[in-house]
Amino acid sequence: MSELDHIALQTLNLKIGYKKDDQVRVLFEPLSLTLTKGELVCFMGSNGIGKTTLIKTLAGIHPPISGSITRNFPAAIVLTDKVSGNLMTVRDLVTYGRYPYLNWWLTLTDQDHHLIETAIKKVHLESIANKHLSQLSDGQLQMAMIAKALAQDTNILLLDEPTAHLDLNNRVEIMNLLRSLARETGKTILVATHELDLALQTADKIWLATQHKKIVEGIPEDLVLDGTFDNEFQLKGFDLKTGKVKHTPYRKTLIQLEGSGPEFLWTKNALERNGYEVGPSKTQVTVTFKEGYPEYILSLSGAEVKFESLKDLLIRLKA
Amino acid sequence: MFSETGTSSEILWQFRLPKAITCVLAGSALACGGLMMQTLFRNPMAGPDVLGLTSGSSLLVAILLLAGRYGSFITFVQSPWSVALAASLGGAMVFVIIISIAKYVRDNTALLIVGLMISAATSSVVSVLQFTSQADDLQTFMIWMLGSVGSTNWSELVVLTITISMGLGISMSMIKALNGMLLGDSYAQNLAINIKRARTWIVIATGMMVGVVTAFCGPIAFVGLAVPHLVRLIIPVSNHKILLPAVMLGGAILLLICDVIAQLPGSTQVLPLNAITSMIGAPVVIWMVIKAKRISV
Repeated sequence: MSELDHIALQTLNLKIGYKKDDQVRVLFEPLSLTLTKGELVCFMGSNGIGKTTLIKTLAGIHPPISGSITRNFPAAIVLTDKVSGNLMTVRDLVTYGRYPYLNWWLTLTDQDHHLIETAIKKVHLESIANKHLSQLSDGQLQMAMIAKALAQDTNILLLDEPTAHLDLNNRVEIMNLLRSLARETGKTILVATHELDLALQTADKIWLATQHKKIVEGIPEDLVLDGTFDNEFQLKGFDLKTGKVKHTPYRKTLIQLEGSGPEFLWTKNALERNGYEVGPSKTQVTVTFKEGYPEYILSLSGAEVKFESLKDLLIRLKA
Repeated sequence: MFSETGTSSEILWQFRLPKAITCVLAGSALACGGLMMQTLFRNPMAGPDVLGLTSGSSLLVAILLLAGRYGSFITFVQSPWSVALAASLGGAMVFVIIISIAKYVRDNTALLIVGLMISAATSSVVSVLQFTSQADDLQTFMIWMLGSVGSTNWSELVVLTITISMGLGISMSMIKALNGMLLGDSYAQNLAINIKRARTWIVIATGMMVGVVTAFCGPIAFVGLAVPHLVRLIIPVSNHKILLPAVMLGGAILLLICDVIAQLPGSTQVLPLNAITSMIGAPVVIWMVIKAKRISV
């Protein structure tokens, strides 16, 4: 297969924005972007920078100002728009995905029914398929919207902030779902999102909208290491390279830490969060296990004290 | 049972049957128009009378009835088709005005206020026309304004039937677009639904239906607003494939009931229909708001 066969969507010198009367507001420098088959791309950038407009322009529901968009496949969208019709059930909503293929009387074929049920299963909403949208939680509603887009059976999915206002669990579930869809079904998925941490861990590629009206493209790790994210987000106290919030070792005490696994990492977290610096020292904390439970041994000038919880260890250290 | 020349037969054919048919037609037309407006504006309080369509129809009918006397087109004015046309134009015109204002006013309440203002403005124009017209014209107009389904003759009934059938037909062909409107323009466009074209057809169908009903039965309030909500209480669906026919049926039933009440059983007195629909409609809407806490499209 040649390079061209992999392309799902391509823009060439695309200018997007708004025309009102004679005034033109262009949001980005001319964009030449490519989405290839089966990849999950996270489109990041601050609020109001034009993520929604780009999504809508790529979907063909907002006119570009100039330039071209080549869509080799139809695209389904998930937007943040409010849907009216509180009496609509989840299944009704998913059925909308079949509308492009239905006649005026909305006659559903067996194939349509099959695709609708498959989409509902994919997002695990079978048990509440007959519930009204007004009875759903925000996460379930978002899942139902994604199912609608899946029922559309398109090779391209464009999603605008699908994880906004959701709790961590729902956010992870949605990103994992999109991740697996891209891998298993070969769909090309573009997600506009603020979720830096989730995007870094799931995306094949990042599009980063910069303050200079450009969109920088790259794989997550490259953009972290070359400082592109730092420049753009002006991160305040968050060290992207370690993935942790920066702590000031204000207690000026060095503690040597021994151990392994998650217990080691969280002990380090507890110490740093409380202003200790971890490094070579005479004060030593060793993380071991006793009958399957973690045990923390503090060695202080020859004496050893054992603790069952980090809380007790910290109380002793601060004393 | 009825002989061809009997009084009962006369009453049945010349009075009761046209009246019943008018109720069925007017009820389904107004309710269908109301549902489509609620969906189009995504506003549960929308309706032909609330947003001033009825007033628009009244205005053009008033101009035709009251000003026609001074013109030389008396025969034209007397044709039920011309009254129907004028009323439909009036309704559709107001609908177009409201749609263009709705682009700027996103707020549901603000849209209702605009509708009320349009009603008020057209009513005042009608008042001016009344003030400058002669007494007998005025009486004709006043009786018309109170609304009645009992005054339609067979030739008017033909116009009503043809126009409303067309309107209901157009409405039924719009179910896909109406469903799409519930999702909003962006989603509808992504689902290959032509909202713009649908909107035009909905304006035409609603204008036509509300127009002819207003022209021949006078302004009938509340049916367009209340019936869609009453039907949704009984059949909780949002799919217009089910909702549209149900609302048409519901409107017909409600108006038949209202007319039975207007007849004042056991009395020769007939009350104005508009008074009855409001008497039933207003408490029903208030009860719905209280019961459902919030009503929605």
